[in-house]
Amino acid sequence: MSAADQPVNQNSAPVRIERVFQRFTLGQRWEHLILIVSFTILFLTGIPQKYRSTEWSQWLLSTPQRVYWVRQIHHTAALLLTAGVLYHLGNALVLLARRRLSSDMFPTFQDVRDAWQMLRYLLFLTREKPAFGKYNFEQKFTYWFLFFGLGIMVVSGFILWFPEVVTRFLPGGIVPAAFLAHSNEAVIAAIFIVIWHFFHVHFQRLNLSMFTGKLSEEEMRLYHANEFERLTGEKADLDETKGGSQ
Amino acid sequence: MQKIKLPALAAGLIASALALSWALLVLIVSVRPAQADGLAQETEKYCLSCHGNPDLKMTLPSGEQVSLYISAEDLQHSVHSPAGIECEACHTEIKTYPHPPITYTTRREMARTYYLACQKCHSSNYAKTQDSMHAQAAAAGNLDAPVCTDCHGAHNVRPPDEPRALISTTCGKCHTQINQDYVQSVHGGDLLTQDNPDVPVCTDCHGVHNIQDPRTAQFRVETPDLCARCHADAERMSKYGLSADVYGLYNLSWHGVDVAVYKAKWPTIWHESAVCTDCHGIHNIRRTSDPASKVNPANLLSTCQECHPGVGANWTAAWIGHNRIDPQRTPFLYYTEVFYRSLTPIVLWASILYVALQILHAAVERVRRSLP
Repeated sequence: MSAADQPVNQNSAPVRIERVFQRFTLGQRWEHLILIVSFTILFLTGIPQKYRSTEWSQWLLSTPQRVYWVRQIHHTAALLLTAGVLYHLGNALVLLARRRLSSDMFPTFQDVRDAWQMLRYLLFLTREKPAFGKYNFEQKFTYWFLFFGLGIMVVSGFILWFPEVVTRFLPGGIVPAAFLAHSNEAVIAAIFIVIWHFFHVHFQRLNLSMFTGKLSEEEMRLYHANEFERLTGEKADLDETKGGSQ
Repeated sequence: MQKIKLPALAAGLIASALALSWALLVLIVSVRPAQADGLAQETEKYCLSCHGNPDLKMTLPSGEQVSLYISAEDLQHSVHSPAGIECEACHTEIKTYPHPPITYTTRREMARTYYLACQKCHSSNYAKTQDSMHAQAAAAGNLDAPVCTDCHGAHNVRPPDEPRALISTTCGKCHTQINQDYVQSVHGGDLLTQDNPDVPVCTDCHGVHNIQDPRTAQFRVETPDLCARCHADAERMSKYGLSADVYGLYNLSWHGVDVAVYKAKWPTIWHESAVCTDCHGIHNIRRTSDPASKVNPANLLSTCQECHPGVGANWTAAWIGHNRIDPQRTPFLYYTEVFYRSLTPIVLWASILYVALQILHAAVERVRRSLP
């Protein structure tokens, strides 16, 4: 084969240097991975326990040993999740003490305005999508929903794990309340993750920044315009951006 | 030696006399009107000609003395004698006097020999007893385990439940302590003082002839269903101001779910999750308001501690009792339920609607862009 037979290089167009933007630290990506693993194990081992009266649960938990082991696995995964939660909170406290805790994730009134504008956009009442900062209101809602949801799961979970110890200090009535909360919150959190989070990061667009740690320049311009402008001092909107911010 | 020639007339007379007396015998045996002397049968009269003597005794090879006196009155009031069932029906080997030699050496052996006759008529109940806890005890070597006659009597068999309290007395002949507990319980008390037909006697829970071992894992996990036969009956419970929800609410509890799973899947595997009797007591069940009740508020903590050793005073409130969720009684549970009942649909519908709007918008945009 001669060189002339080689196909013409398809990438002969001028190369545009794509800048990439660091979005999540390695620590945050590990936290997320631990959350995925522990949450999935907890869900899969918890649901058969919640629905113990059903046929399929009794098919899965077909022997008392299986019930025992499913609880052991659930408790082990719970410890993993708890470690993740404590690391997250501890890290935030350390950063707070050093005055270095980022305020990006805290909800502001701007999020309410953004949500309102987004709703109007989705209802075709305006053609302008809101421009977002580092985290948009959907992402903040995901974070805080799981922040409190996991808080409820961890606290109620430990009440159910050690009810005899907990009631030495706290009223007994919290035990059945914890049982109800643990049972309900688990299902709500799981449905929320599937409907809300999976849609936003898998179906609407595949957003792997939580695994790669990075967002491309295009993604930054499109979805985090304010953050892009803050970081680069450039205008975010390019001609080719469609449906992006103004 | 004189030879007597019987005339035809005499022969006829004898023949008809024989026929008549046979007919009379058949009549006496088969028809059973109470006779003037109270005894239904000629055989009884015949037997009692000796056994009516209160001093009649014999000494068994074991050295035990057995009274052979049979009270005519006992026979008259028994269910058998007036029904025409004669001595020989049970004492099958004794046809006449002198009696054949005895084959048993002890009094107990004698009872265990004669009771076998019961199965001639009562074959179904007899078969049930062979599967019972009592038969197992006998097979294991305890010859004191009861046979038919120990509960029903021998010559004085009468309806076993007239009055109904007779049942607990009968069982109490051997199960003394249990009967003492029972007569002081809410069930036994009402039985003895009011002959209340709603309360259970021994046989209602334990069965009659096929009484099973109540200490098995299976009996344990079936206990809630046993109690529910009455305590889930709203009509019966309303007479006493009791809730008929106790069973349903128990089945939703931690204990109840666990026990229901074991009952359905592993009834023969022992499991500790509490059943009714663990908290309320077994034969000594009392009203919850009774200070001696195991579930009286004053005693509840120590009852919980039987399974949950070392728990503190707050622990009892972790058991919501057989009560529905209520803002006064169980505020934590109540407000948690209100929270989730309102939060769940709001969050889920808001998420669903928002995502649906996003999908719809994206679809419309795509169509719009594809248009010229």
